[in-house]
Amino acid sequence: MGCGVAKSNKFHTKKGGKAMKAAVLIQRWYRQYVARMEMRRRYTWNIFQSIEYSGEQAQIKLYNFLGYLMDNFNPTSTERNLISHIFRENEVCRDTEWERHFCYKNIEVPEIYSGPRLIFPLTVEQVAAMVEAFRNKRQLHSRYVLQLLLETWKLLRKLPNISRISTCHSKEITVCGDLHGQLEDLLLIFYKNGMPSLDRPYVFNGDFVDRGKDSIEILLILFAFLLVYPNDVHLNRGNHEDHIVNLRYGFTKEVLGKYKMHGKRILKLLQKIFSWLPLATVIDQKVLILHGGISNTTDLCLIARVDRHKYVSALRPPKKRTQYPVSQSSVDLDMEDDLSGTKNNQRRVSLIKANSFGPRDGFQRRSLQDFSGRVPRTVDEEIEVRRRQSGFIKGGFSHSQGELNNLAVSSASQESTDTADTTVEEWKQILDLLWSDPMSQNGCIPNEVRGGGCYWGPDVTQDFLDRHNMQLIIRSHECKQDGYEFCHNRRVLTLFSASNYYEVGSNRGAYVKLGPDLVPYLIQYQASSMTRELTLRKNVGKVEHSALKVLREQLFAHKSDLVSAFQEFDKDKTGQVSLNDWATAVESVLRLGLPWRMLRFQLATCKTPGGMLDYQEWFQELSIKEPQMEHIDQGLLETLYRHRATLETIFRIVDLDNSGFITMEDFRQTWKLLSAFLKMEITDEAISDLSVTIDTNQDGNIDIDEFMEAFRLTDKKSRLERGKSMFMGTTTDLTKLEGDPNI
Amino acid sequence: MAPKKKEEPKEAPKPKAPEPEPVKIPEFNPTEVVLEFTPEQIEDFKDAFQLFDRTPLNEMKITYGQCGDVIRALGQNPTNAEITYVLGKPKAEEMATKMLDFDSFLPIHQHICKAKDRGTYEDFVEGLRVFDKLGDGTVMGAELRHVLASLGEKMKEDEVEQLMTNQEDANGCVNYEDFVKHVMAS
Repeated sequence: MGCGVAKSNKFHTKKGGKAMKAAVLIQRWYRQYVARMEMRRRYTWNIFQSIEYSGEQAQIKLYNFLGYLMDNFNPTSTERNLISHIFRENEVCRDTEWERHFCYKNIEVPEIYSGPRLIFPLTVEQVAAMVEAFRNKRQLHSRYVLQLLLETWKLLRKLPNISRISTCHSKEITVCGDLHGQLEDLLLIFYKNGMPSLDRPYVFNGDFVDRGKDSIEILLILFAFLLVYPNDVHLNRGNHEDHIVNLRYGFTKEVLGKYKMHGKRILKLLQKIFSWLPLATVIDQKVLILHGGISNTTDLCLIARVDRHKYVSALRPPKKRTQYPVSQSSVDLDMEDDLSGTKNNQRRVSLIKANSFGPRDGFQRRSLQDFSGRVPRTVDEEIEVRRRQSGFIKGGFSHSQGELNNLAVSSASQESTDTADTTVEEWKQILDLLWSDPMSQNGCIPNEVRGGGCYWGPDVTQDFLDRHNMQLIIRSHECKQDGYEFCHNRRVLTLFSASNYYEVGSNRGAYVKLGPDLVPYLIQYQASSMTRELTLRKNVGKVEHSALKVLREQLFAHKSDLVSAFQEFDKDKTGQVSLNDWATAVESVLRLGLPWRMLRFQLATCKTPGGMLDYQEWFQELSIKEPQMEHIDQGLLETLYRHRATLETIFRIVDLDNSGFITMEDFRQTWKLLSAFLKMEITDEAISDLSVTIDTNQDGNIDIDEFMEAFRLTDKKSRLERGKSMFMGTTTDLTKLEGDPNI
Repeated sequence: MAPKKKEEPKEAPKPKAPEPEPVKIPEFNPTEVVLEFTPEQIEDFKDAFQLFDRTPLNEMKITYGQCGDVIRALGQNPTNAEITYVLGKPKAEEMATKMLDFDSFLPIHQHICKAKDRGTYEDFVEGLRVFDKLGDGTVMGAELRHVLASLGEKMKEDEVEQLMTNQEDANGCVNYEDFVKHVMAS
């Protein structure tokens, strides 16, 4: 160092010895500080991630449950009719019908509209102007949205399932991971890296929508660039490019909020567009890019051959078409459905084998087979059956996974037709591709945490790469603290481009550049500049605070179960438990796999002198109380709170015309659905109490948003809640558009 | 800083050396350590250990390199030299590859916990006062950074940066009592 000589002499004196000692002291304390921060960061991360994944799991469970209703309920049952429309995947079939849907020509754009006006075919200047407009919080008029979507659809239909690109014509290819509606991150990437162009090709690896508040803007930007540079912009489908997932995670709500008049149409078209998104991209035949990952059965040749657009939602296999000719004009089986309910019922049931409840054979089909049976049931009967089955089903998954996969294949082959065989196999391939996660141990097991796809190990990676003569897999799907992470001996790269995903300061985003040498060059960023100025402690503290808040809510939502668990440890009914027992009980109820002992100082602060915890008092601290709710049964409130995301999802499904309102009668039916799903009793009286509280103008309609807010089920301040279960605090952002019927 | 002196030196120091001959310390012997932790404490340690465990099957093992982190996360503040000592002076590459299971970790942790010279708030402040040229309760941030990066168990530039963020005032001075509180608080 500069002034070295004099100083080093100084440090040989006694004073120097002291300086040395001081330095070492500071250094040791600093290292302790860092280690403690790291520990807090890790458990905070665990909290967010386990809650996120358990939410995804809940969504899949809900969807499976609804699927079961569809397949097994009396076709005339009201419950089934409430939800049947979400399973109508191809509502209109003929080209003319679709054109009507896409028809933008009759939509007038008023003079007063100040957003971008597009003229097709698009030029790059227009797209750049549109990006700028979005940066300035303008919104694109629905006319142009529809037109842009139409053009996008036309283009996507021509693309193969696997895009094959090369680096030889350009310098470097940029690959981006999940964006999740976070426009700032996309803008930041463009700022740092430049926008897509002939010299600057991009691959976007799925999950463009949901959770963030600007999902539609991100889509419009990506589609626009795709139209302008069709050979240099490549999009891969993610698991969130799926209308069922969108119902829960915010995209549906965002579009309906921003486009009040034409939102529903836009969403319908997006369903189609999502199904036409390519599934993977390959660079120089050596680097595979896809959203989720692979499994031990992933076969690129098969994937290249599938009719990808059949899989409108990856959560549900396509219908068997054996009774109808398979033709290019895609005969609409769903429309036939509505005409002849009985036929439909029969056909649906034939997709599901009537299994005895032996061990689950086939993870991906478990969802459908859980409740197989041919007898149509009413909801009440259903509740009974599920109660009986629940014990069995929970314990069912005990066989070795390899066996199960084999069984899946063999059970598939017992299907009566080849069409069904291929369909199931294809579906599994796509599900794996979109939902899987890597794990560190060898093998391939079903991904129970997410509820779809699998966990695959380094041996599977190696085998796959050898078989296909490739060297690297780039995938996304998982949030990483540094925006990226290598695993499997650096043969798998996880890339995540939504910074501050869980909370401001939680993680960085990253993108990767690959030149002809195919050596990945990673760039990281973080959208909020605020975080750079915070000390490490403040940064970690902020994120931790957020995580703990969410965790407290989870604890509150499980109050009755927790009290029972505590009472197991408190046989003498003292009302107290030791902190150890507290930790054990909490884990047994919440099952989040978190280090509760480490968290106890933040979560359970009221301690008696003896170090025991008074648990009733503790719940007082946690509780969310609303004075006017006191006449409502506390148990019911707790249920509402715990399952609020599911409740809202069901509401939105039931709200057929996406008006934001449902009738009182439908409201009651919704509750019956929910009680069947949750396997619990909700009395008519309780439902009346709820509806009376809400329907303040007594007109027989319930405003969904108001309902959710009235029961304090939404928390606008929490960023985590925003988008996580469609509770996006964006109503204030949209107020300027509220009154504009023209957008 | 020389490793902690545990016992009498085995050899008498040579008379002509200006500094005392470094004493021969016997290797760390984990079997000689008496574990005094309570079962509760051990449960706590397990939680922390698990948080750093990255093995595929959650085998309750960490790398040698992580051992220091876990011990520090649990509230101790050993020097790197002390950590190296209790690990049996592993080679540099072993730090990333050699694994430590929980049972082997306990005596190591116990030994560190028993260390007397932890450094109190006063020690810390005294140490920093060395750099307080004007005697006004502040030290020059630049000098502190230099010292941390070049003396003792040197810190890397980004570590220094992280530590010093928002500690210096407009004149580049650090109030060291506040600084100590900042570092010692957790």
